[in-house]
Amino acid sequence: MPGIRVEYQEELEALEASALGGLDLVTSQLVRTLEAVEHQDIELAQIVVADDDRIDGRYLEVHQALITLLATQSPVATDLRLISALLHVLKNIERMGDQCVNICKVIPMSGHTPPADQEMVKLILTMGAHAKALIAQAKRAFCERNVEMARDLVDRDDVIDELNRDCFRLALAIGDDADQREWAMTMMLTARAIERIGDNSVDIGEQVAFVVTGLFREFEDASHPDAHA
Amino acid sequence: MEGRKLRDMFGSESKPGTEAEEGRNTMSQAGPVTETSSQPQGAAASARRAKTLEAKEVNLYYGDFHAVENVNMTIEPNKVTALIGSSGCGKTTFLRSLNRMHELTPGASVKGSIQLDGEDVYGAGVDPVAVRRLVGMVFQQPNPFPTMSIYDNVAAGLDFNAGKIRKADKDAIVERSLRGAHLWDEVKDRLGRPGSGLSGGQQQRLCIARATAVSPEVLLMDEPCSALDPVATLAIEDLIGELKKEYTIAIVTHNMQQAARASDNTAFFNLDESGKPGHLVEIGPTQEIFTKPKKKETEDYVSGRFG
Repeated sequence: MPGIRVEYQEELEALEASALGGLDLVTSQLVRTLEAVEHQDIELAQIVVADDDRIDGRYLEVHQALITLLATQSPVATDLRLISALLHVLKNIERMGDQCVNICKVIPMSGHTPPADQEMVKLILTMGAHAKALIAQAKRAFCERNVEMARDLVDRDDVIDELNRDCFRLALAIGDDADQREWAMTMMLTARAIERIGDNSVDIGEQVAFVVTGLFREFEDASHPDAHA
Repeated sequence: MEGRKLRDMFGSESKPGTEAEEGRNTMSQAGPVTETSSQPQGAAASARRAKTLEAKEVNLYYGDFHAVENVNMTIEPNKVTALIGSSGCGKTTFLRSLNRMHELTPGASVKGSIQLDGEDVYGAGVDPVAVRRLVGMVFQQPNPFPTMSIYDNVAAGLDFNAGKIRKADKDAIVERSLRGAHLWDEVKDRLGRPGSGLSGGQQQRLCIARATAVSPEVLLMDEPCSALDPVATLAIEDLIGELKKEYTIAIVTHNMQQAARASDNTAFFNLDESGKPGHLVEIGPTQEIFTKPKKKETEDYVSGRFG
């Protein structure tokens, strides 16, 4: 007798779409953030900061609706795992939005014509492009309940981590000029924020594995990097 | 421990020596009477290991109708096992086969074996009445004997089972059973009043006291809360949590949240279509059944995707 609790099922599906739609909001924020970094566009950076309210609003709205479903529908099994995962993913999305804000907030610090090192800017933009791809892959893995695709996020995130280390090396070697060192410092914060966006994408992948398998394990444990889950 | 000897009801499987040492009941021993002084006051006082019920290839019939097909499952000691499934899936029929009540229906028959710690309750020569004392039943509708006093309701099983008992022993058992059922404080001043004067929740606890008075090993409960309000329901669920320290418990429930709250293991029964026999789909730890069941059929049922 399928056909029972149709409204509840439809509502849960709509909430999943709405939560994962938050990843699209993050993607558009990230694209604008990278553009602001590339062109030192302070106005665009301010728009990104203001627009974060949309992501926060989505977070609060979907969170509340999921809690209501928990309270009224007593979801169990796959539904329960999905709701738990979505609550996690919402938090990841909110954090990724905040990282875009963090990046945009340091852009004005280096002024309209910073002593930019083009190699470093290029590195950061490459990191950003990888992070954007990671977000898209995390979303697709979740939609398709594809654990393999979710696990692959770890390898792709390793690329971002390596670029982050390259960035650090460039910053160390930037020279003695005080202004340029300050600029390099803001770029390090930027690289760090992008690196965190990658980590949050991997966290979403872990939730995909939880929804499918019922087991919640970190794909990689930062404090025990050799012990693969 | 000198009860009425029913040992000859059993084959060679009974192990009288060890069981006597542990002070355990068997179907070969009758009265709880002489144990009473050493029994704790109330179910919570101490834990003891109750017996395991094991169903092996159990098939149940009403005349020609094959009601339950090939059930293999273990009802673990000192745990609550919930039996869930939609109406007609055979869970209540299966429950009633566990203490030989199924055969009370005219034309009903049983194939396979049900063992209580290795002793076949359907073994040749086993007295069904002795089985029902060791494997007690609490029903959907509280059914105290309406004309009997509260005291006599609890003591009723003792009179049937153990012959003549000294009044002081009987008093002790009645008090212990009512305390164990969380009812003593509410009724101790009116033990002589009729059981039918109690509220529904109290009546159900009276029935639980009656079932435990004869010191069973296993308590079977057939939707014990379906006629009760939510508060009385939660009181019974709490009580079930206490009782499992002393007894092995199997409970049939239609309330999925009750199974989730009150049981350790959950068994899901289903039937492919009306007229087909019910069967056990899956049994496992309750937490697993409600978070990651193995079978999609179970998932659909616990998620409410079936009626």
